[in-house]
Amino acid sequence: MTHEPTRRAILAGLGCACCAGIVPAAARVRPADMQPLVGPGYRPSEEDELGMWQQYERFEQEVAGSNLLIRDPALVAYLAGLVERVGGPAAGDLRIYLARVPEFNAFMAPTGFMVVFSGLLTRMRDEAQLAGVLAHEAGHFLRRHHARRWRDLKRRTDFFTILAMGAGLGGGVAGTYLGDWVRLAGMGTMLTLAAYSRELEAEADAMGVRLIAESGYDPAAMPAVWRQLIGELDASAAMRRRRRRDQSLLATHPAPESRMRDLGLSAEEVRATGRHYDRGRERYLAAIAAHRPLLLDDQVKLNDPGASLYIVHNLAEDGWNGLLRYYEGEAWRLRGRPGDGDHAARSYAMAVAYPDAPAEAWRAHGYGLLRAGRREEGRAALGRYLAAAPDAPDAAMVRYSLQQ
Amino acid sequence: MGRQQIILAFIAAVALSGCVQTRQYADLEFSPPQGDYDLVVMRPNVQVGIVTTGGLVEPRADWTEQARAHLLEALRQQQAGRGGRTMILETREGVNGMPAETVADLERLFAAVGSSIVLHRYMGANLPTKRRRGIDWTLGEDAVAFGRATGMDYALFLHAEDSFASTGRTAIQALGIAGCLIGFCAPQGGGGQGAYASLVDLRTGEVVWFNLLQTSSLLPGVRFGDIRTREGAAEMVERLIGRMRAGRLVREQQRQ
Repeated sequence: MTHEPTRRAILAGLGCACCAGIVPAAARVRPADMQPLVGPGYRPSEEDELGMWQQYERFEQEVAGSNLLIRDPALVAYLAGLVERVGGPAAGDLRIYLARVPEFNAFMAPTGFMVVFSGLLTRMRDEAQLAGVLAHEAGHFLRRHHARRWRDLKRRTDFFTILAMGAGLGGGVAGTYLGDWVRLAGMGTMLTLAAYSRELEAEADAMGVRLIAESGYDPAAMPAVWRQLIGELDASAAMRRRRRRDQSLLATHPAPESRMRDLGLSAEEVRATGRHYDRGRERYLAAIAAHRPLLLDDQVKLNDPGASLYIVHNLAEDGWNGLLRYYEGEAWRLRGRPGDGDHAARSYAMAVAYPDAPAEAWRAHGYGLLRAGRREEGRAALGRYLAAAPDAPDAAMVRYSLQQ
Repeated sequence: MGRQQIILAFIAAVALSGCVQTRQYADLEFSPPQGDYDLVVMRPNVQVGIVTTGGLVEPRADWTEQARAHLLEALRQQQAGRGGRTMILETREGVNGMPAETVADLERLFAAVGSSIVLHRYMGANLPTKRRRGIDWTLGEDAVAFGRATGMDYALFLHAEDSFASTGRTAIQALGIAGCLIGFCAPQGGGGQGAYASLVDLRTGEVVWFNLLQTSSLLPGVRFGDIRTREGAAEMVERLIGRMRAGRLVREQQRQ
């Protein structure tokens, strides 16, 4: 007699594992159920958490000394102030580091430090959106997600190991081979671990939307961030002529679509009628103004023109300016397919019409005009560039081309 | 060979597979520091944990503190035996008024060079240009400048890990071996040590010596030292650093 599972049994088993794994993650977490699990000045007392904290304290030293950090004191103070505003009971305990990484991401350590990637500042349209991301990260801390995930991982790997050993020994005694069943259980374990991770992300979203609403930010900013990200991923895929990859069962985060949908519902739940909610767009733009050229520059150099153009256009929903037009042109120029030069030239021409056009826009516009045979206008534009940036690294080269 | 004999042979093999391994490489002209010298230990990293039933290592803060204290004490004594003065760098701010940023830069530089050494010396990605040349890597002028500014002769980079099987893990290990008797042999790993140490000569900037230590056993309860104890820590320091050998050219010269 054999105990080998048939293909049908394996598929059925996987199906069950998948259902078991996905159903809890798919259910929306209600903001009302999200009470912070830590108070001010939280310190761990249990063994596993003490060990975890010790490791992360060393990790924080590495982060604090990293040469990837953007250290502008004004900007860092602005971010720290935001975290304090949306950090709930942990407001006074959270630290924030801004890393120059042009990606949409942030990270929360169990000890209370947060790493925010500069790519977030590139994409956010107002303070409420950024506050939403920071509040989501604070939610991980307030709900003790690191410890809870570690304990879940321990529990499930313990269970699986005992099961596998039991199956091996039992099979040895009975003279049958149960290895395929054990592998199946192994897959089931992986799926449930991923599902739990997604559940915690959903918790952090629910906690986050509640925190920002309580601190007076428009909670609708959170679903808006996900709508933007979905638009960006689609635009990026479309320009590469690919389809965006579907969500995998092993994903640690819920699909952007489900996050956007759940956050939309949660935002309405936490909205108090009659209360005024703030978007803080001017404050946000003022805080990042000095860094926006660098942020956009890092983005367009990622060689992801679909995403870059989407980001620029999305920011321009609040109004075009010289900087955004210039980087729109850069995204086209760097893609460099036939016809892209014309797109770029049009963007540069529009950029220089704005009083805030960066000096580089005049240079790009000038060379574009020269290429189009409009010699005098081109020379005039290059002259504007030199006047605005006389010490630019390429100033001598531009002067040389003016003499030709 | 009967079934019984196969099982016995297997158990013997399992028992032997637990072992202590070190593999050290040195610059061809390296002689271990001796006499009057100053050594700085760059933010030594120690991690001690417990192995869960499922085989994960869970860090333990108290064990780590104990092990760290014992290891550093053992290291200090071992170096003093050679005549060296040891300075332990606890934080990046700790070196004679040197900016933390400079210390961090040197650490990052070593992290890059050290990974390259591990890749090309230990992981099998051997480079034809480095064949029979021992350790042939350098941190360059930055390390020399660091040495000049701090007055240190050598920098030691040290990382040590140890882990101990929990009761549950020990039971799983025992079952895995016991299963051999009924035809289900599944020996499982338990605790074990892993450590590396690397010496940089701050007068030349060169990485002059590198050693990797591993101890492990598939038999429940069998261990090769416990760095949470004074003796165990001294044993690891002896295995890792105490048996430091000179480079090949120096040894050949000594033989003649």
